[in-house]
Amino acid sequence: MKKVLLSLAFLGTMAMLQLNAGEQFAMSDADRAMYEEMLENNPADIFVEEGGEIFEEALGGEEAFAKFLEVSEKDLPKYIAGFPRYIKKLGNVVGIDQVIQAMQVSIGKEKTKLKSGKMFSMLAYVKSLANDELINIDVEADEHIKASYTLGKTTYMTARGGRGLACNSCHSADIVGKVLRTQPLPDLGEVAVAGTWPAYRMTKSSLRTPQRRFQGCMKNALLKVIPIGSKEMIALEVYVATLAKAKNKKIAIPGLKR
Amino acid sequence: MRTKIKCLALATLFLSTSASLYAMDLTKAYDMPEATKLIKKDLFPAAKKFTMPKSCNLTDANAIARGDFMFNNLNGKKAKGKLPAGLAKFVEKTGKDGKVKKKPKQYGNCIACHDIEGSKGAGNIGPSLVGYKAMFIDTKARDAQFVYQKIADPRIDNANTHMTVNLTTGLFNEQEICDYTAYVVSVKNKK
Ligand code: HEC
Ligand code: HEC
Repeated sequence: MKKVLLSLAFLGTMAMLQLNAGEQFAMSDADRAMYEEMLENNPADIFVEEGGEIFEEALGGEEAFAKFLEVSEKDLPKYIAGFPRYIKKLGNVVGIDQVIQAMQVSIGKEKTKLKSGKMFSMLAYVKSLANDELINIDVEADEHIKASYTLGKTTYMTARGGRGLACNSCHSADIVGKVLRTQPLPDLGEVAVAGTWPAYRMTKSSLRTPQRRFQGCMKNALLKVIPIGSKEMIALEVYVATLAKAKNKKIAIPGLKR
Repeated sequence: MRTKIKCLALATLFLSTSASLYAMDLTKAYDMPEATKLIKKDLFPAAKKFTMPKSCNLTDANAIARGDFMFNNLNGKKAKGKLPAGLAKFVEKTGKDGKVKKKPKQYGNCIACHDIEGSKGAGNIGPSLVGYKAMFIDTKARDAQFVYQKIADPRIDNANTHMTVNLTTGLFNEQEICDYTAYVVSVKNKK
C-alpha cells in the first residue's frame, strides 16, 4: 500500500514531498509557485477593501457596528473573534453576516443577501478587524450557544446523501493527511478554518466564506447542500471554530486556499 | 408656563424610554433559512445485508469494463475515456415541476480512496486493491460475496467505515454492484 504520510495537510509541507508529486497531488509545481506569489499579494485583499468601503458608507463602519453589538470599540476585535454568538436582540446564535443584515434593517435599509458577493466582502472585512486575535468562541457562554455546538457536532457526524458520507468521513482525526484522489485531507482545526475563511480560493478565482466552503464539500460528496445562514450551517461553523480554538489558532483574513 | 415645559420634558423622556423599551423587533430582521427538513430527507437507511444475485456474471468482459469505468470516474460529466457498452453518461430525472432533466450519471470514484492497476492519482484512504485476485480471492481470504457486500454496504463488515455506501443509498443498482465486483476480482493486465 502506498501510504503517504503527511503530518499536516498543509500546502507548505507538500512542497517538500518528493513522492511523484506531479501525479499524486492536485497542486502542480507551477500552481505552487503561484500560491507562494499570492501569499505575498492575496487577490482577496481587494474584496476586503471593497467590503470595508460598502460597510463604512452604508452602515457607518466599526463605530456603529460596535454600538449595535453593545461592545466598546476597543473590545470589538476580540468580540468578533468569538463568532458565531448568541445575540439577545436577534434571538438566535448568528453569524456576522446576519448581524450586518439586522443592522441594515434597523436603520431602514434593505438587507444584503447572505449569499451575495457584496455580503461575502463585507463579512470578510468585518472579520479582518479581528486579525491576530486568538479564536475565542465560548460554547459554554449560554444555553443557546451550547445547543448550537451540539447541533453542529451532530450535523458534522451525520452521514447522508447519495454516498452515505458525513463531514467526519473525510475530516476525522484518524484520516487526516491521507489522500483522497489527489487531495490531502485537511485537519479542519489545524488549518484553522474558523480563522482563515473568508479566503481567496484559487481554483474558483473568488472570495469564499466558510459556509460557502462547506457547501462545496457537500456538493462534491453528494450531500444535499443546505443554505447559508441556516441553524445547521451556523452550528457547523461553531463546531469547526472549537477545533481551531483547541489549537490556539488566530484570525488571519483573508486566507489563501488552493 | 413652567409646568407646561416640565410636562413636555417629561413626556419626551417618557416617549424616548418607551421607544427604546419597544425598540424595533430584530428577531426576524435577518435571513435564517430552514435546513432541518432538508437534512432529514437526506438521511439514509441503516446498514443492510445483501446477497450477491445469481445473475452476477463476474467473468463478463462488458461487466468488468463498466466496473473499471465507474471505479475510475466520479460522474458522467467529468468522465474520461471510452464509455463501455451498457453504461450511460447522463440519466433523465423528473423534477418536482414534472419536467424531465438530464443529470450526469454518478459513478463510484473508488479511485479517490483505492489504488488499483493502472490508476492515476489514486487516494489512500482505503487499502490498495492492486493484485486483489491473487492476494485475496485465490487464497480464499475473501470471496466475491464479501466484495459484493463491501461495495453494496461496507457498514456490515465495519460499522465505522470511511467507505461510501453504494447500494443501500440507491445510488447504484444490483447490476452495477456486480460490475464493480467483477472488476475488483478480475485479473488486470494494466500497468
Ligand atoms: C468525500 C470527502 C469529503 C467530505 C464528505 C467532506 N469533505 Fe471537506 N474536504 C475534503 C477535501 C479532499 C478537502 C481539501 C480540498 C482541497 O485541497 O481543496 C476538504 C476541505 C474542506 C475545507 C477547507 C479546509 C481549508 O481551510 O483548507 C472545509 C472547511 C471542509 N472541507 C469542510 C467540510 C464540511 C463542513 C463537510 C461536511 C458537510 C465536509 N467538509 C465533507 C473532503 C471532504
Ligand atoms: C471514501 C473512501 C472510499 C471510497 C470512495 C471507496 N472505498 Fe472501498 N474501502 C475504503 C476503506 C477505508 C476500506 C477498508 C475497510 C473498511 O473500512 O470498510 C475499503 C475497503 C474496500 C474493499 C475491501 C478490501 C478487502 O478485501 O479488505 C473493497 C473490495 C472496496 N473497498 C471496493 C471499493 C469500490 C468498488 C468502491 C467504489 C464503488 C470503493 N471501494 C469506494 C474506503 C473507500
